[in-house]
Amino acid sequence: MPMYQPSSRREVDSSQVLDLETAVKDGVLGGGGGGVITTAAFASDKLDLKIMIEELESMDVPTVFICPISLEPMHDPVTLCTGQTYERSNILKWFSLGHCTCPTTMQELWDDSVTPNKTLQQLIYSWFSQKYLAMKKRSEDVQGRVKEILENLKKIKGQARVQALKELRQVVQAHGSAKKTVVENGGIGLISSLLGPFTTHAVGSEVIGVLVSLNLDLNSKSDLLQPAKMSLIVDILNEGSIETKINCTRLIGMLMEGTDFASENIASLSLLVGLLRLVKDKKHPNGVLVGLSLLETICSHESVRSSFVNVGAVPQLVELIPGLTNECLELVLHVLELLSSTPEGRLALKDCPNTIPNIVKLLMKASENCTQLALSILWAICKFAPEECASLAVDAGVAAKLLLVIQSGCNPMLKQRSAELLKLCSLNYTTTIFISKCKLTRTIQ
Amino acid sequence: MVEQLGFVALVKLVEVSEEHSNDFLNFDLRAFCVGRLSKNRQHTEADTEENAQTAEIERRIEQETKAEKHIQKLLLLGAGESGKSTIFKQIKLLFQTGFDEAELKSYVSVIDANIYQTIKILYDGSKEFAQNDVDSSKYVLSSENQVIGEKLSEIGSRLDYPRLDKELAEEIGNLWKDSAIQETYARGNELQVPDCTHYFMESLQRLSDANYVPTKEDVLYARVRTTGVVEIQFSPVGENKKSGEVYRLFDVGGQRNERRKWIHLFEGVTAVIFCAAINEYDQTLFEDEQKNRMMETKELFDWVLKQPCFEKTSFMLFLNKFDIFEKKVLNVPLNVCEWFKDYQPVSTGKQEIEHAYEFIKKKFEELYFQSTAPDRVDRVFKVYRTTALDQKVVKKTFKLVDETLRRRNLFEAGLL
Repeated sequence: MPMYQPSSRREVDSSQVLDLETAVKDGVLGGGGGGVITTAAFASDKLDLKIMIEELESMDVPTVFICPISLEPMHDPVTLCTGQTYERSNILKWFSLGHCTCPTTMQELWDDSVTPNKTLQQLIYSWFSQKYLAMKKRSEDVQGRVKEILENLKKIKGQARVQALKELRQVVQAHGSAKKTVVENGGIGLISSLLGPFTTHAVGSEVIGVLVSLNLDLNSKSDLLQPAKMSLIVDILNEGSIETKINCTRLIGMLMEGTDFASENIASLSLLVGLLRLVKDKKHPNGVLVGLSLLETICSHESVRSSFVNVGAVPQLVELIPGLTNECLELVLHVLELLSSTPEGRLALKDCPNTIPNIVKLLMKASENCTQLALSILWAICKFAPEECASLAVDAGVAAKLLLVIQSGCNPMLKQRSAELLKLCSLNYTTTIFISKCKLTRTIQ
Repeated sequence: MVEQLGFVALVKLVEVSEEHSNDFLNFDLRAFCVGRLSKNRQHTEADTEENAQTAEIERRIEQETKAEKHIQKLLLLGAGESGKSTIFKQIKLLFQTGFDEAELKSYVSVIDANIYQTIKILYDGSKEFAQNDVDSSKYVLSSENQVIGEKLSEIGSRLDYPRLDKELAEEIGNLWKDSAIQETYARGNELQVPDCTHYFMESLQRLSDANYVPTKEDVLYARVRTTGVVEIQFSPVGENKKSGEVYRLFDVGGQRNERRKWIHLFEGVTAVIFCAAINEYDQTLFEDEQKNRMMETKELFDWVLKQPCFEKTSFMLFLNKFDIFEKKVLNVPLNVCEWFKDYQPVSTGKQEIEHAYEFIKKKFEELYFQSTAPDRVDRVFKVYRTTALDQKVVKKTFKLVDETLRRRNLFEAGLL
């Protein structure tokens, strides 16, 4: 049973709450803890404690309000003869299980009566009310501010517009309620209309920053998928700071979700090149992850794959492999696997000298998915150009790895594939030479 | 020779000779220089004042050299009649003092020339079509107009044109309205009919006025084949009226024989503004009537992209003459041009125009990435839809170009 250590905060909290009580009684605006309540509000709104506690979940509730048994704020605190206070239902349950002790002090109870702690109950109620009303007020303030900004945006231009959008973005990112307000007041349509062929980078990047935090409905998405707006988003992706790049990438990902778009329109060469640049930026691993996710989504559409190979994706992605996190590795391998389904992709993979070594290293290394994808890629290349690739693969130590896969607990499909690949690689060698090339330990031999 | 040297040069000479302690300028010459420098001054004050002046000049020389480095060089490139000079004129109007009355008046002869040349092309064209076309009757002019036509054709072939007067204006106007000429104009893409035709032909009365002073719009439409290189220096005025970057813009001739002069301009270029007129997919070159203009632009763009000195240069592609393109594309399919032979129309009206435009843009993008080596992929490449005659469009477009170049500078300085 965790013992609640009374924190020094308790002193501060109690005094705050006491002040509040007095303030409320006298009808004077309270100051502590932020927020303002008037007597009228307090008296008339029979605020449901349960609801308030739920909505204020994230708040730091003073320890003195917490039931030691359930660790939840108390609705109906009762005190035992030891002076310890618990939630009524919890302590009664404790008693019904046959205990006659005080849970925290472990003392035998000489008196099994429970006294309702009205004072504490009042205090809990006032405290939550105060916090709740303050939060509501803040939320209204935020909502009010958002509405104001949206109204302004209809009129102002230039630097003022940029500033307003910046503020909107900050508010939306900080307050969930702001998002709702934006959507309800036609905000999405309004700021989307600011995106056009003559939108400056400053305005565009802020708009994207706002849009990416909101839930966009199908209509908004179709609107944003128009070629002129997409071109702008791609341009901003290519020119922006890392934050902007990530926002653009995430926005495009959002737009592609659930829409029946024609991928040729979205996946322009500029976008693909921009994403490649993003994923190569090792200084910003967030960017790498987000970029690879979008590339994976884009490459799931066949028509894009050959263009992507043509802008030199394969060698750049292969170079990327060492040093990636497992999550990113899966994405990169998936992309390469998708590219290997095209003839240009296979050619590019074969021509890149580091493909085989980098990918062989990944077998049985990161995750089963990685192994599966790596195997798939190796299979595709080796089938495409067995003479060249088989020997390279063997030199890279593929045989030992494949044997490991076969002997591991991986799924049977994987083992089957490994066996096939092993056979393919060994075709040009006699058994002895092959085994020697495998550099296997004697046990495996 | 020394007498002709300016002050600055004299100071430099003295400086240099002092450094090399007389070993290449003889004593007399140096004395002469110093003497010249201290001309008009009391000999007693000469030394100190001289030093002050020298210092001042040195400071100015240093300042100017530094300033030169901050001037960004912009190059307008593109095939003939792609709109380079129009953009050049627009920049002049937007960011410099524009055209004064004298300059405006200097365009009167250009506009006259445009009118005579155009009507001659149309008249000669109508005769050609009347001869060769199956449906020859629609190209046959009325007899009065034939007479006018012959007269104007003769004028148009001279080296010096008469000033357009009311009488000539009326004759030209009548000829223009003849249905045969209109039919010929409809096939203008087969001839070398300039884009300003309609604009000038509809304004003949105004243009032939005795006191005619061309408007800014007239000047923008006026067509002169640029030869050689023209440059202006300007600073785009920002929102806060603070002067931003300083640009020096160079305009060149686009025809083939002019292109050999381009190479001299290629060093140290911040950005190339490549103009491509997207309406000319069904037209042939002025200098080679066998070659399709769009194909020529394609090859030219490819060539420019591969130039070694443009390794780090930003490329702004202006897909120009969108206004003419809009009207043409619904009537003349894109696949008449070989480069666009795989084009499939998807709808009609505005949607189709947008679709066609996006198709062309994509083709240029593909070409860009094909022609760009992997080590150059980081240079800036942006495509803009322009109508060079529309000042608002050019102003907004240039604002974006300016923003991009400024961000690029910050990026390269590591500040972004």
